[in-house]
This record gives sequence, C-alpha cells and structure tokens, in this order.
Amino acid sequence: MEEYKIDLTVNGEKISTTAKAEESLLKFLRRNGFTEVKCGCEKGECGTCTVILNEKAVKSCITLALQANHKEVWTVKGMEKFELGRKLQKSFVNYGAIQCGFCTPGMIITAKNYLDQNPIPNREEIKKAISGNLCRCTGYKKIVDAIYAVAVENQRSK
Amino acid sequence: MSLFKYISPKTKDEVLEILQKEKSNACIVAGCSNVLPNIRDKEIKAKVLIDITNIEQLKGIYQKEDKIFLGPLTTINELIYSDITSKEYKVLTQAAQEFADPLVRNTATIGGNLVTASPAADIAIPLLTLDALIKIESTRDKREVKLKDFFVGPGETILQDDEMIVGIEFEQSDVNKNGYFIKIGQRKAMAISIATVAVNLEVRQNKINQIRIAAGSVAPTPVRLTGAESFLKNKEINDKLVEEAIDRVREEVKPISDIRASEEYRRYISGLLFKRAFKKLADSSIHQFTN
Repeated sequence: MEEYKIDLTVNGEKISTTAKAEESLLKFLRRNGFTEVKCGCEKGECGTCTVILNEKAVKSCITLALQANHKEVWTVKGMEKFELGRKLQKSFVNYGAIQCGFCTPGMIITAKNYLDQNPIPNREEIKKAISGNLCRCTGYKKIVDAIYAVAVENQRSK
Repeated sequence: MSLFKYISPKTKDEVLEILQKEKSNACIVAGCSNVLPNIRDKEIKAKVLIDITNIEQLKGIYQKEDKIFLGPLTTINELIYSDITSKEYKVLTQAAQEFADPLVRNTATIGGNLVTASPAADIAIPLLTLDALIKIESTRDKREVKLKDFFVGPGETILQDDEMIVGIEFEQSDVNKNGYFIKIGQRKAMAISIATVAVNLEVRQNKINQIRIAAGSVAPTPVRLTGAESFLKNKEINDKLVEEAIDRVREEVKPISDIRASEEYRRYISGLLFKRAFKKLADSSIHQFTN
C-alpha cells in the first residue's frame, strides 16, 4: 500500500507520519488519536467534522489529509488554548446549547473561526455563519444564544 | 489496498505534463467537495489525484486592461470578499452568497464548480450572463471557449482528458456591472438549487440595449436563454413586453421532475425568477436614466 509522508501541526503539536492518497483529513485525524473530530455524514453536509486549517474553518471529511501537509490544524480540543475558545465553551454550557453533543465540536470551531473575523455579529449573521453545521436536537436557538452572548461580551469589553 | 496516487505539483506546466501522461486516469482535485464523496461512494476508483491547491499561478482575482480575470482556484468566499467582484459584479457575489454554506465556500473553487458541470452549478449561472471566456490549456494546445459552449451534458464538458482550465475572464462592460441573481432552494443553506436565474441588462433610453439571461437546474446543463434574449433586444420596456418574455423563458427552459421539484414547478418558477430579476434591474436602470 502506497503511503505519503505528511508533516503538520495539530493543536500546536508537530506530527510527522504518513497518509494514504485518498484519505480524508477526518479519517486521518481520528486514526491519529484526534477522535474529538466527529464523523457524521462524510459528504460535507453536516459540519460536525469541522476543523480549522490554516485559519479557515473547513469540513475535514471533504479535505484530503495530504492537503494539510505543512499546514496548521486546530480541533475542538485545541480551542481551550484560546480565550475566545474558552468563552465559547463556557457559554455553550451556560445556555444549555448542548443536548446530544454530537454537533458541538463543529459548532464551537465554526463559531470561534467566525468570531475571530467578525467579533460582534448580530443574531442573523450568527445564523448564517453556522448554516453549514447541522444540529438535530436544539432547534439552534440555544446555540445562537450561546454564540450571541459571547458577541455581546465582546462588544462590552471593546 | 489503495489504488490511488497523490501528486502535488508546484506549477501549471507540471500539471499539464502529468495530465498528458495519465489522461483519464488523472483527477484534478482542489476543494474536494465533490471528489471525496465520490471516492467514498466508489464512483471514482484508481486515480492519480493531482492536488493543484499549492499552485499560485491558478489563484487570484485581477483587473487586466478591460477585463476581469479569475484564477480557477478562486474560492467561492474569495468572490464574496474581493473588492473587485463584490463592488461591481454583484451578480457573482449574490450567487456566491447562496452557494452551499460558509465552510464549503472556504474551499470550493470556481474551476471545480465549472468542471463538475452539474446542471445546478450555481457559479456557472452568473458567469454565463457575464459572457465569461474559459481559458483552457494542454501540453499540445491553448484555446479559449465561451462558457455557453463549455457544457455538453450533466457532468460533461468539452474538456479533453489532457486539458485543464487555467483562467476565467469577462469584460468590464456596463452590461456586466448591472446583473442580478436569484436562487430557489428547499432551504436557506446547503441547498441544491431547484432553479436559479441570472440576468444582466443594459438599458438605453428605455430600450434594452443588451441583455443576457441564464438559468440553472432547468436543463441538462446551465444554459443561456438566447431565444428570450433576442426577443427582448432593442425593445422598449413595458409591462406587456415583460409578460411576453416570461412566456418565452418558460418555453425555452427544459426542466425535468426530480426529488427536489417537478418539471411544471421549475418551468413556472423560471419565468417568475426572470421577472423578479429583470424588474429589479430595469427599475434601477430607468430610474438612473430619468434622473
């Protein structure tokens, strides 16, 4: 079986290993112990596998592992290294924005990446920003509430 | 056992060499939003995956003399955030904002949307009304083809096995700066279009000087509605004309019934979307003129 060399950093940690040509970044990450990246639909629709790849939120099931070569990947576990990540984590708990929790890794990643670019969005903008992440429990209200609370906090501390 | 190979060339010429050698065994990948699900469903087997995402020559949005040049690796989000496209070519950004979802838009590319040749390719529709030119290269040839002649059927284009898209170009003309795009889908995000319509219009003294109409998901390929266009050209704008044009649009589209909508609904909605887009453009053009 032909494998290709891959060097990348995941949550700030350097990793040197191999990947198959057609392996998705999702499968690659889970195979290497990053099982906090969840596997949902595997066709780019549900968004639970979202990771940050070179500062952009992407769906890891529709990204080749080898496309992350020499790049920086952040999963939900790495979010606690950032103040914004910790704020979101707390806010999701405060607002009960988690029920089964399966969409949460993708939601937190998408919210963090979005708030990095647009720290004080309104509710409509938040809805649009998370439109690529499906949640089948909460009806989205609590998730939007949780993200909006962080936006309000950002506004206050401005 | 893995039957796939992976190559990440640094230049366009390297890609062309590999295509020339591998022909139909090669599969160019960038955004991967179609390729990876297809690999998973075993619709793509045993291919040399040529990852072009590291090739700088194929990226970017530029003004080139009287034209706008889009690299095939331009992502859908770049169309939204580029000053060039977002200020003057709203028909493109309107389509980009309705494309899949914000995450997919970070990686999905214009080139990928075109070569996939889905009848529902959302970015093809505004590019058709901008009368875009597709620049194609292989090791043996360079050619340019109008986008309206690029699609052959669902999933099929005029591209040969050894060819690739190296650029997309359209003119910085008045008609191109006055466009409008509308999409109907089942949801607000991640929706495959039920129907899309784009119109580009230039009005002079209340007469239609230039018009281009394109529609998606209502024919085997994204299409220009040239019949309705020639019917409207040089005519004075009034309500009766618009009503007649709606009928022409409905006659000219060739939709099918599928899980998303029926043929009848698609025919009906195409006319309505045309009317909405046309009125939006005509009202503002006439307003500008009388002022």
